[in-house]
Amino acid sequence: MLGLEIIASSVTSGFLLGGTLALTALGLSIVLGVMRLINLAHGIFLIAGAYAGFFLQQVTGLDPFVTVVVVAAVVGAAALPVQRYLLEPLAKYGAEAPMMTTFGLAIVLENLFLLKFSADTRSIETSEAAVPLQLGPISVPLIYLICFAVSVCVILLVHLIVVRTSFGRDLRASAVDPGAAAVVGVDVRRVHTLTFALGGACAGVGGTLIGILFSFTPASGANYLLTDFTIVVLGGMGNILGTLIGGIVLGVLQSVAGIVLGDGYRDLIGLVVFLAMLAVRPRGLFKGHAA
Amino acid sequence: MLGALVIAGVFAVGALFPHLLSDYAMQIGFRTMLYIVLGEAWNLLAGYCGLVSLGSASFVGIGAYVLVGLLNTTPMPIGLAVVVGGGGGAVLAALVSPAVFRMRGLYFTVGTLALGEAMRLMMVNAPWFGGATGLFLHVDWPSSYALYLYGLVLLLVTEFVLSVAAHSRLSILMRAVRDDEDAAAQVGVRTFRVKLFTFMVASFLMSAAGALQAYKLSAIEPYGMFGLQWSVDVLAMVIIGGMGLRYGPIFGAILVIALGELLADYPELHIAITGIILIVLVRFAPKGLVGLAGQARAWFAGRSSGAGLA
Repeated sequence: MLGLEIIASSVTSGFLLGGTLALTALGLSIVLGVMRLINLAHGIFLIAGAYAGFFLQQVTGLDPFVTVVVVAAVVGAAALPVQRYLLEPLAKYGAEAPMMTTFGLAIVLENLFLLKFSADTRSIETSEAAVPLQLGPISVPLIYLICFAVSVCVILLVHLIVVRTSFGRDLRASAVDPGAAAVVGVDVRRVHTLTFALGGACAGVGGTLIGILFSFTPASGANYLLTDFTIVVLGGMGNILGTLIGGIVLGVLQSVAGIVLGDGYRDLIGLVVFLAMLAVRPRGLFKGHAA
Repeated sequence: MLGALVIAGVFAVGALFPHLLSDYAMQIGFRTMLYIVLGEAWNLLAGYCGLVSLGSASFVGIGAYVLVGLLNTTPMPIGLAVVVGGGGGAVLAALVSPAVFRMRGLYFTVGTLALGEAMRLMMVNAPWFGGATGLFLHVDWPSSYALYLYGLVLLLVTEFVLSVAAHSRLSILMRAVRDDEDAAAQVGVRTFRVKLFTFMVASFLMSAAGALQAYKLSAIEPYGMFGLQWSVDVLAMVIIGGMGLRYGPIFGAILVIALGELLADYPELHIAITGIILIVLVRFAPKGLVGLAGQARAWFAGRSSGAGLA
């Protein structure tokens, strides 16, 4: 039997990593909640953020927690033309055509990254990476706590944008009923473009955190995409604070599964939770509404 | 019907005069037939019934594992093992249908994507199926010609099933479910049954194809047989050819195989180009190349649409 300290440390790690992964799922969630678009390119957006963070650090030598602002701006700006020129013109064909397009985009980007950056596994080095944090009997790497804090701050920031600004009001109106929102003067097209860019920016930050905490290759996108879908389904589609809780719930569940069943079952438990949630409670754990 | 006969006839000529084909041509022919079968099955599901699946890999993989398991433990003939492998896929479809059919439209797509990945992870982790290293087939390596014949039989069965499905009452029921599930239920269509039947038939064909692929490879492992690449290729093929059109998957499969052979030395470029073709076609020719051909024909004939192809 494992010691209590190890179990407590492992669950705490799961909690912190889950909270961090919640940020990687946030963009997927708001795009789904507001635009009813399943963005299959979200995983590769995360990887784009991870590469951007990696190369910015290589070139400038600055701390990745500083350059993450630049990464957010770059990935967010790159997402703008995708929505404007690739997805927007397809809106009239229903929900499938834009999804197929994001899927096509994902395989194009993944293979361009493979060609350009090779299939080598990379990770972003930080000075805090090896520092342990001791809290009574619990021991976790300090970097987990820092990434968790960054994630929670960004999620709260997005939450405040949505509930406190006029853009947020337009966004919530478009999410509930785009037709009615347009009638009362909301520029739904602009809201969608900005929402997609916001989702991209969140993916940029989330991708950098993935690069710091784990390692990544161009092909990692699909794995994170599936984890993120699980978080979105747990938290409720478009529910921002729900995403944070969903991430934490998944992180703790995965660490428990890792202890009880063995490490190989961590990802499997996520997918089982995902399918079970979709089948039993597709609206998520909480009652909340979209965005 | 005529078109399907022509296509099957072309492959049958290869079977009657094997000395005309090099070993390479025989291999390509086998792969093309396998892809056509997968594409036809996916098109039945997505194009006719509106169930856009990203979980084809689960069915390819289950067929492969069933075939290897059967041939390794029983003296079963290959043909029967392929049929039972297909049956394994149909059973899997029936087992997961209560869960995946709770999801409509796009959620079904994401649910099937998760199903494929869950199956792969289970095969890696469960102690009975050889784990990440997979299983070896203990029977003799098949000749290219034998494989070609098995592929041809599967292709003929598939074309027969598809032609029957496209000209029966079922095709009307499937299209009703695709176009508006609630309205179909209102007028008395048992939507769950229609979807389940279609899902099981399509899964049977996909698993049979997966079983043949396993027989060809003689060694299977979870990352290859349950790989996302199967789901991706099948979807790309049908979208490129023309989803919901009778001959879409056939032309899509031939084009995707040809593209893959032309760019065989540049695998990344090949997939990236497939992605670009996908994006361009979704934008400018939502009915794929076959749909585009239909429009062109109608345009030359002075009519306004390619209605005759649907």
